[in-house]
Amino acid sequence: MAGRVVSIELVWDFPIPKALEQTQGWVLVAMQHHGRELVNMLWRILGNEQDVCDAYQDTFLSLAHHEYGSKPENVKGYVFRSASNRAISILRHRYLEKRDLSSKLIDKRKAATPAGELDSKYLKESLRAGIARLPDHLRDVVTLHDLGELPYEQVGRMLGITSATARVYRCKAVQLLAAWMRKETA
Amino acid sequence: MDEKGDGISMLAAIKENRCKRLRNWLWKLLAERFSIEQQWVQDHIANCPKCRGRIARLGRVDAALALLKAEPHSIDLLMRANTQAIGVLKHSLRETAKACKLRRARPESTILERYGKYKRPLFHAAACVAVAVLLKISTFSSAGKFRAGSQKAVEHYYASRAGEDIAGEVFRSHA
Repeated sequence: MAGRVVSIELVWDFPIPKALEQTQGWVLVAMQHHGRELVNMLWRILGNEQDVCDAYQDTFLSLAHHEYGSKPENVKGYVFRSASNRAISILRHRYLEKRDLSSKLIDKRKAATPAGELDSKYLKESLRAGIARLPDHLRDVVTLHDLGELPYEQVGRMLGITSATARVYRCKAVQLLAAWMRKETA
Repeated sequence: MDEKGDGISMLAAIKENRCKRLRNWLWKLLAERFSIEQQWVQDHIANCPKCRGRIARLGRVDAALALLKAEPHSIDLLMRANTQAIGVLKHSLRETAKACKLRRARPESTILERYGKYKRPLFHAAACVAVAVLLKISTFSSAGKFRAGSQKAVEHYYASRAGEDIAGEVFRSHA
């Protein structure tokens, strides 16, 4: 019995932690390779530095714990999609919290004037609110292609669609955003 | 059986290629006929308030996207994000040299961005070099042609005046 315990201890002590240590190094490699682009995308989606850091942290934490520490097949796709989803949920949460406040913040009368329409802060906020409202498949394309600056081919590969479909989705998303932004100012 | 299979797959590939060609051709045709640069499209937009409004709305979305892209974040954001993310990874990863390096990472511009400002002067210099090379080639080749042509004319002159054998002797010794 004692012998069995010792052998189990040996199994736990020696090979498994070492192997895991080795395999987890790719998390830092992914951070090094995609960190800059990810921070840019998150900043564009969220526009708040603390939220960017939180979403970034959650992304790499989930990457490190993906299927008990195993490396995903497409690390870039995983981190970009994961970061985008986290950022959108933070954005939605923020809009839910500030629903009343935001309606007060965005002065519709001001927005209806030509000067208001060109107000950059207003434009950015209404676009962010629109992106948070988009259906998932359209939103993914807009965030990855427009805010993450990834080419359509890569976006298609990440989402499991063709690049032509990604273009169509982007076109639909822009039309929806345009309609919503128009309603806001009306 | 294999040959038959190969033949079928080849036919399918040809058909696929034909479809792709046709699709591309259709896209090109549509893009040419209905692009916004077409005069008839521009005339229509100028006179149609609905289309003008639609284009203005799409333009606002593009402008908002451009504004989001243009907004800069603080220079240490990457460093802070890396530090926060590394802080929740396991201990063995936190202590590595790579992790220390990432904690101090700042957004570095890519080679293209760094040397982008030299793009235009480089293009100009390359164009100048190309023009100089072409000029040199054309000058040498025209000089060679001119020389050969004049030699032939003089040879012909000598041949007509002094006879073929003397002209041949003179020009052969020169050659």
